[in-house]
Amino acid sequence: MEAPPVTMMPVTGGTINMMEYLLQGSVLDHSLESLIHRLRGLCDNMEPETFLDHEMVFLLKGQQASPFVLRGRRSMDRTGAPWHLRYLGQPEMGDKNRHALVRNCVDIATSENLTDFLMEMGFRMDHEFVAKGHLFRKGIMKIMVYKIFRILVPGNTDSIEALSLSYLVELSVVAPAGQDMVSDDMRNFAEQLKPLVHLEKIDPKRLM
Amino acid sequence: MSPFLLEGGSVSQMPVAEGKSVQQTVELLTRKLEMLGAEKQGTFCVDCETYHTAASTLGSQGQAGKLMYVMHNSEYPLSCFALFENGPCLIADTNFDVLMVKLKGFFQSAKASKIETRGTRYQYCDFLVKVGTVTMGPSARGISVEVEYGPCVVASDCWSLLLEFLQNFLGSHTPGAPTVFGNRHDAVYGPADTMVQYMELFNKIRKQQQVPVAGIR
Repeated sequence: MEAPPVTMMPVTGGTINMMEYLLQGSVLDHSLESLIHRLRGLCDNMEPETFLDHEMVFLLKGQQASPFVLRGRRSMDRTGAPWHLRYLGQPEMGDKNRHALVRNCVDIATSENLTDFLMEMGFRMDHEFVAKGHLFRKGIMKIMVYKIFRILVPGNTDSIEALSLSYLVELSVVAPAGQDMVSDDMRNFAEQLKPLVHLEKIDPKRLM
Repeated sequence: MSPFLLEGGSVSQMPVAEGKSVQQTVELLTRKLEMLGAEKQGTFCVDCETYHTAASTLGSQGQAGKLMYVMHNSEYPLSCFALFENGPCLIADTNFDVLMVKLKGFFQSAKASKIETRGTRYQYCDFLVKVGTVTMGPSARGISVEVEYGPCVVASDCWSLLLEFLQNFLGSHTPGAPTVFGNRHDAVYGPADTMVQYMELFNKIRKQQQVPVAGIR
């Protein structure tokens, strides 16, 4: 369906392809504090960082079998921050021994009129949600512990309701294509979070 | 120029002087600027690539193919500007170009229509003047003149000052107020307004007859 795996072409058109390596897991609400406590100990020393984001997922339908997906994200609690536009490719089917989910990613900071612009390009919003939680870092690894909220009235982020009684935990790294040792480092870090949370490679396609 | 100030600016096309080539007219202008006392401050480049919705996307959207312009301006080297005529102008970082590569199946670039202007930057007190040669591929198609007045943020407040300055060295070729000022007299001027003016200028030049071969050096 698409071009050959990006890991075979680290440089395309003069730019380096970046890949997102991802491990995911979840914890029930009542285990949140212990997890945060463990993460504070293991991660880089910094002010505890929380976030409240609104994400919208847009689709562009063409004659191709699968629509093109783009994600637009804005901060609801930091005024003046740019909007974040993200493209995520299909997960690379590769080495079964590779410990993390790997997909091509393109991250772009944009001005606030992103939604209008995407609509003008022909994209339509498929769904949206609010994410509220905590952010930690360890070197190039990013750890997010957050709760997803359903938006009850489209476009109105004031009335939201939690999707579940748990928090989603994501360990991710964005690195240039071809750096597979990154997933080994991620696996080693994930080991230290057991048994509070089990982070694993979850193939989104298997959930559908 | 304070980093917070966005300029009131005007972009216009200078017709090629009678009996002279593009290069000679550019030299005439730059010499006039130097006589006024303007200082050379490096070079600039503004380029524009045109994309159109691929035929495969048209059917499902039920709309006529739209043209999307992706532009860069050396004044803002870390940014990329994407706009639709009479539509929104998105300001993004240069990864937007990488995204356009991924969107190849949906948006095709008309390679032959890449247009750019390159030239010298001149600083004269609070004015920044850029005189550039507009080229499409190997051929010179015209001249662009951009004037920015640094201290002012609201377009309508400084238009008469800009006009007076332009008359100093463009003489009878001084343009009228850019349409970008039209509905939003009191709005704060921003880089997107400059890019819209360049887009309109490039479109105008694309439609014009090519400068006769005999006049080009």
